[in-house]
Amino acid sequence: MIRRVVTRLEEIRAEPGVGACPPVRRVAAAAVIQNPWAGRGRVDDLAAEVEAVAPGLAVALTDRVSAILGGAAAVEAFGKAAIVGTDGEIEHGAALIHTPWFGDIVRAAFGGTSIIVFADTRGPAGTPIVVPIWHTTAAATRSHYATVEIAIADAPRPDEIVVVCAAADGGRPLARIGDRTTDTATVRLEEHRP
Amino acid sequence: MNLRKIVTIVEEQLTEGGREVAPVHRVAIVLAVIDNPWAGRGFVADLGPGIDEIAPQLGALLAPRCVAALGGPVEAYGKAGIVGLDGELEHASGLIHTLKFGNHFREAARATTLLPAVEKVAPAGASFDIPLKHVTDATIRSHHQTVTAYVPDAPRPGEIVIGLAAASRGRPQERLAPLATEQ
Repeated sequence: MIRRVVTRLEEIRAEPGVGACPPVRRVAAAAVIQNPWAGRGRVDDLAAEVEAVAPGLAVALTDRVSAILGGAAAVEAFGKAAIVGTDGEIEHGAALIHTPWFGDIVRAAFGGTSIIVFADTRGPAGTPIVVPIWHTTAAATRSHYATVEIAIADAPRPDEIVVVCAAADGGRPLARIGDRTTDTATVRLEEHRP
Repeated sequence: MNLRKIVTIVEEQLTEGGREVAPVHRVAIVLAVIDNPWAGRGFVADLGPGIDEIAPQLGALLAPRCVAALGGPVEAYGKAGIVGLDGELEHASGLIHTLKFGNHFREAARATTLLPAVEKVAPAGASFDIPLKHVTDATIRSHHQTVTAYVPDAPRPGEIVIGLAAASRGRPQERLAPLATEQ
């Protein structure tokens, strides 16, 4: 079922113009599968294939993310994504990542309670996707808004889908834009219109 | 050595041509993003001191990570040097074409052959293909292969990306006649 699994770990040690910063690790794990609805025209009920395919993807991807980060407990932020091959519907990617058959498994794997932030797109093999991530239990935690990019040179083929799970063991390396609790400005839009 | 980022990519290929790949084909790539030690210094005639300082550090950093990421014996290997737009091609070549760099990988991978390489000057995000050959006999055709990598924000103009790649086996469905059959 899975043709290929690609994992990407970015260990950030410094920021341009600043130098060394607190290290943070971000991971994306991607699985390439045959689109289960490819060549079938419009399929109204996607549920059976979702149930058959999505849980296995969630387990395969979260297992790899946990292994790379040294355990699920290290995960502070998470996200998910799908890249649908050019013969498929965006709905096919959505089906694989936006149901409990995928999302609940990812959430549980990392002890999360937040909704999982996502991205989806359709494109030829090699299409990069920038996967958003946010905090696993407090989605509004501004320091943890970040992204991880991944691309696979030979996927997705037109009848394939790439499904991605992403995570990080911390926030942005030099996060310093405060949070909702520290915002003191009252933004008045009319004062900022030219 | 000013190190900004380390990127580790692992690829597992489970099927190819509609058939199972057994054993699974694994590739590991480890990339270091560093400041170009010769950036902003004009034409530096003697690259030796910079090579002597930095190439061994890169080898010691990348080789064990690459072997560990692969998670098993290395059968094919290769290397990469991508120079940001303010640098010379020679800067990447200097850092990767020295035993002070390559021998770290050769020892970690129990290898004896020359490491095939890709070198280029490129903007951040440029894709590059790392060639791999067999670790003890570069004529073994089944192990000629390439892997593709990129780092979205590197190399910046004053940076260099240096990488190592290792494969667990030959191509996923390798079935070419060996070189000897044509000689």
